[in-house]
Amino acid sequence: MEVTFRIRRQNPEDPAKKKPYWQEFTLQNVAETDRVLELMHRIKWEQDGTLAFRRSCSHGICGSDAMRINGRNALACKLLVRNVGSKIQLEPILGLPVLKDLIVDMEPFFDHYRSIMPYFVNNSPVPANGRERIQMPEDQVFMNDTGNCILCACCTTSCPSFWANGKYVGPAAIVQAHRFVFDTRDEATAERLDVLADPDGVWRCRTIYNCTPACPRGIEVTKAIGEVKLAVMRGTNKGVIKASDIKVNH
Amino acid sequence: MTSLVLTLTETLRYKGALGQWSWVLHRITGLGVVLFLVLHVIDTSWAYFYPELYVKAIAVYQSPLFTIGEFALVACVVYHAYNGLRIALIDFKPVWWRHQEKAARYVLIATAVTLVPVFVLMFSHVLKHYQSPDVQVLGLDAVVESQIPFIAGFVIAGFAALLLSAITMAILPKSAAGPKAKPTGSQIERFWWSFMRLSGVLIIPLVFGHLAAMHVLQGVFDMTVAGMTVVGVPVSGDATALWNGINASGTAVEFVGERWNHLLGGVAIWRVFDAALLMLVTIHGFNGLRYVLTDYTSFNPMLKRAAIYLCIMGAVVLLVTGIGALLGTIDQTAVDMAKEATAKLFAP
Ligand code: HEM
Ligand code: HEM
Ligand code: FES
Repeated sequence: MEVTFRIRRQNPEDPAKKKPYWQEFTLQNVAETDRVLELMHRIKWEQDGTLAFRRSCSHGICGSDAMRINGRNALACKLLVRNVGSKIQLEPILGLPVLKDLIVDMEPFFDHYRSIMPYFVNNSPVPANGRERIQMPEDQVFMNDTGNCILCACCTTSCPSFWANGKYVGPAAIVQAHRFVFDTRDEATAERLDVLADPDGVWRCRTIYNCTPACPRGIEVTKAIGEVKLAVMRGTNKGVIKASDIKVNH
Repeated sequence: MTSLVLTLTETLRYKGALGQWSWVLHRITGLGVVLFLVLHVIDTSWAYFYPELYVKAIAVYQSPLFTIGEFALVACVVYHAYNGLRIALIDFKPVWWRHQEKAARYVLIATAVTLVPVFVLMFSHVLKHYQSPDVQVLGLDAVVESQIPFIAGFVIAGFAALLLSAITMAILPKSAAGPKAKPTGSQIERFWWSFMRLSGVLIIPLVFGHLAAMHVLQGVFDMTVAGMTVVGVPVSGDATALWNGINASGTAVEFVGERWNHLLGGVAIWRVFDAALLMLVTIHGFNGLRYVLTDYTSFNPMLKRAAIYLCIMGAVVLLVTGIGALLGTIDQTAVDMAKEATAKLFAP
């Protein structure tokens, strides 16, 4: 089958291409099961070597190729032609500075990530065997879902609050915080909740629900944000999530 | 950070699900009601402070332009109320987000179901008004002219907020005025988050009751019909008393006086009702306005500060004028002034 691409391009270093513009490409012999990312490779290799985009693993693990596909954020490596149809529109994710074509500067995004202390804190003595801090399965479920985040920025850059206000810490950083806030072994809950209670922390979330369907890992993003809000309000992570409310992962 | 224009256009271009449109509507309806509230509380306070102006203001409300606005206003309040309830419920139980799309659809359906009978009744008031033989309608030019002071007021308030913001930024040490090095918890935001949800729930019976009185049981047109009963005030047998449950003079001022002076068990219930409505709606509405304005001004600390000052100023002005009027007593003189003003209203 034939597929047409409409791609939002921009090259801030080239005066003629400073302003974003649309360019179309047509590909023949496309199979329904081809992934969007593969077709982008074909464009780059067969038609226009200047097309710039990021990718690494090609298998939905590294989180490099988040972009807006047919109007909605997704990973190009996870969508097949049969998911998106024969007319495919690609744009860079919104809210982060465009470096070139589909590549954005992720640094502001990672700054927010770093602000929530995305590391395990536990200063009590190391367990007797000197190795891992064991956790019971019934405690582990609280961070099951949010532990799946790959930091691709699909959720954060789907959020109108983040577009308007780049200081908003954003869904992804809150999801990452959730993973530690609801880790029963972690000891920095109070500190982390304090960071998230900043005026540009969780309060900027207006429950718009763009983030949840944007997540390529199927994380219940808005729910996680809601749980962090409740933890901030109550000043504790205790009793916020009921075990019976946790989605069963397949 | 994305520019303001891009943020707004991309909000409409992004293919979000229903939740995105619910939010857009919630925001627009909230802002619409805040705008109305400013005009409305200032206008209403004139019933006590400047009876002649109140007569004019009600004639403006009865004009076709405002009648259209009134239908839009009621739709805004109903949608915002139901959707606010959806937001608050899911905030309380985040796991219910799995039903949010369905809930958003129910909100739209419930809004439509509520509005159909309400619009029919409101429309019957409009029809009755235009069918009465001595109907008099204020011209569009007079209506527009009457809003100029408000527009001027908004512009002046905006400049005052900017000026105040610039001055504080100049006086404050750089560290206090600039961005913080590290994000830290805000007790105030915690309070506002709870307040928006709690006040929203409390506002529902108050504003629905108020709208039922002013649109469904009676319409704004009934405020100026001589000899008409007044909604929420029983008719007393005493025809000689001024406050007897009958708007004898057919002036808007007497209508409000009847309501505010009505005592139930020694309590001026409509004043208490209006005071509760005034405080909750003003604080909720202006904090909502602050949410919206600070979202879109976050790129510039001075603008953002000005936005916050503007919201504080607006809320204070409305609370002071509104409570001032509620504490005053409308008397025979005010009604006489209103009678004179009514007679002159349509005089060539
Ligand atoms: C066009 C629709 C409306 C009409 C015709 C109307 C009419 C009135 C009238 C006649 C009063 C005088 C006091 C009384 O009789 O109780 C009043 C007061 C008041 N109304 Fe409305 N109302 C309308 C919509 C609203 C809405 C939507 C709100 C809330 C957002 C609201 C909030 C208030 C408040 C707070 C007061 C007290 C004002 C003060 O203290 O000076 N009204 N309204
Ligand atoms: C009738 C009952 C009402 C309910 C249940 C309600 C509920 C809510 C809730 C829960 C929010 C917070 C939304 C969020 O943080 O995502 C909100 C925001 C807001 N409300 Fe209301 N509200 C009501 C009435 C009003 C009225 C009468 C006004 C105007 C005077 C108003 C103006 C606003 C504004 C401007 C916002 C900010 C919207 C935004 O941030 O996008 N609300 N409302
Ligand atoms: S390329 Fe690694 S997630 Fe798509």
